[in-house]
Amino acid sequence: MEYKFEQVKIVGGIGADDEFWRGLERGEFCLPTCASCGTWMWPAHFRCGACGAWEMQWNAIEPRGTIFTWTRSWYAFDRVSERTADVPYVSAVVEIPHAGGARVMGIYEGTDEALRIGVDVVGHILPPSEKTKGYPSIVWRPASSGPVA
Amino acid sequence: MMSKLRGAAAVVGIGQTPYYKRGASPHPEIKLALQAIVGACEDAGIDPTDVDGFISYASERNDAQKLMSALGTKEVRFASLAWIHGGGIPGALSIAAMAVATGQANAVVVYRSMAESSTQRLRVMVAQGDTAAQYLVNGLESPAQILALRSQRMIEKHGVPRDTLKAMARATYYHARNNPRAYGRNTVLDDETYDNARLISEPYNLFDCSRENDGACAVLVVSAERARDLPRKPAYILSAPMGTLNGGGALEENIRPYSFAGQVGVATRMWAESGYGPKDVDVAQIYQNMTGMGVGSLIDHGFCTTENAGEFITFDNLIVPGGSLPVNTSGGDLAEGFIHGMGLVAEAVRQIRGDSVNQVPGAKLSLMTGGPGDTMSSTGLLGSEETL
Repeated sequence: MEYKFEQVKIVGGIGADDEFWRGLERGEFCLPTCASCGTWMWPAHFRCGACGAWEMQWNAIEPRGTIFTWTRSWYAFDRVSERTADVPYVSAVVEIPHAGGARVMGIYEGTDEALRIGVDVVGHILPPSEKTKGYPSIVWRPASSGPVA
Repeated sequence: MMSKLRGAAAVVGIGQTPYYKRGASPHPEIKLALQAIVGACEDAGIDPTDVDGFISYASERNDAQKLMSALGTKEVRFASLAWIHGGGIPGALSIAAMAVATGQANAVVVYRSMAESSTQRLRVMVAQGDTAAQYLVNGLESPAQILALRSQRMIEKHGVPRDTLKAMARATYYHARNNPRAYGRNTVLDDETYDNARLISEPYNLFDCSRENDGACAVLVVSAERARDLPRKPAYILSAPMGTLNGGGALEENIRPYSFAGQVGVATRMWAESGYGPKDVDVAQIYQNMTGMGVGSLIDHGFCTTENAGEFITFDNLIVPGGSLPVNTSGGDLAEGFIHGMGLVAEAVRQIRGDSVNQVPGAKLSLMTGGPGDTMSSTGLLGSEETL
C-alpha cells in the first residue's frame, strides 16, 4: 500500500516540513539548507532569514546526533492517547551536529543509564502507525546499542 | 532609555469571577467576561457604558463586538488582541497603556474569560491548535510535556537544583492557604507530599503543573491623570514590553537560548524602561504554567543565576513574611487557579494597593511576568505613585 502522510496531515506549526516526512516515507532522513547560502534551516521555513532566498534544498543525511533533552511521560495526554499502552515513554530532542545543530524530536528507545544529555544516538525510521498519527517517524537509540538496522 | 509610556497609565479596577472547577462554570464564557468587566468597573467607580477600549490576548473569543450591547457601551474606540499565548498578558497591559496615553481610548479593559463548556479549552483556547506535527507524532502534546523538555535541560545540563521547582510550588501553595478564593487552599504542600506526588512528565510531578479552571478576570486601565481622581490607589504601568530576541519564536525546540523562559529580551528592556532592577522589586507574580518555567523566569529576569539559583529560590526566601522576593502571593496559577494567568495581574495590583491576603508591607514595585517558554512573551512592572 502506498501510504501518504498528507492524507492525515496535522495542521499546526509553520508547515514547511512536508519534505522531511516524505523523506522518512522513502526511508531517508532529510533536513533542509538554504539553496542559496547553504544555511541549515530547521524547522523548515519558506524563506531564508539569513540571505533572503526562497528556495530550500533537502539533504539526505546520517540520522546521528546527541541527546539534547528529554522527558518521560507518565500520563496519557489527550491528543496523544494512541500511546496510552506505552506510558511511561520517553520523548527526546536530538541535536544533529552535521546539520548546523538542528534539533529533531523522536521517541527514545534504550536503557535508563544511556538516557542522558550528550549521549550519542542513532535514528531508526519507523513506518506510519496509529501511534504516530499516520506519519512515518524516527526513534533514537543509543549509538552504543549497535549499528543501524 | 525611559519609555514615553512609563507611568502614563494605571490599573484602577479589578474584577474577578469565582474560579470554578474546569467544566463546572454555571455560566458561559461570555457571561463570565461580562461579570469580570462589570466588576472591574464597579471597583474603579467607572460606569460600564464608558468603557471604550477592549484588549485581551491569545485566543480570547469574547470580543468587543459581542460584549458591547450587554455593557451598554456608548462607543468602542479601540479593540485589540495581543498575539502569543499566556506570554501576552503584560503586553496586553502595554497596549492598553498606549491606547489611553495616545487618546485612542479613555477607559480600557484588559480581560480573559475561559470556560470548558463553551470551548475546547487547552487544545484551542490555550494551544490555539498550533502544535506542530513534530510534537504530536512523537507523543508530545501538552505544555507540561514540552516545557518539561526545557526544565530537564535546565536541571541536567545547567545544574539548577531540582529543589528550586519544589520551592516554587511550596511557596505558592503556602500563600494560597490564606486566600478564600484559591482552589488549592486546603492543600498542605510539605516536602513529603510534594516528593510523593505522581509524575506527570519528568521532571514535573502533579504539583509542578498549573491548575485548570473556568472563570474570568478583568482589569481597567485609564490615563495616569484620570487615575488620580478615582477612588482606588492606582497601580501605574511602568513598563510592560512584549517580544523575543533573535533565536526565539515558534521554532519547535530549536530556540536559542533554550532552557529558561525566553524572557531575557523583554526583562532587559523592562529594567531599562522603568529605571529599576531586580533588587528593587518588592513582590512578584510569576506566571507558572509549570514550576520549572517560573525558575527560568527568575533567572531570565536577573534575580539569580544558574549558579546561585539554589540559594535564592528557597521556600523561606519566596514567602510572606520574611522572604526577599515573595512570589505568587495569591497562590498563583498553581494553587489559586488558572484563567490563563490573568489572575496574576489582579494580585500584582492588590499588592500596590496594600490589600492582598498575603500583603508585602509597603510594597511599591510589583512585578508580573507573562507566560514563560511561550513562543514570545512579555513582562510588566507596576508601581505606586512614589515609584514614578
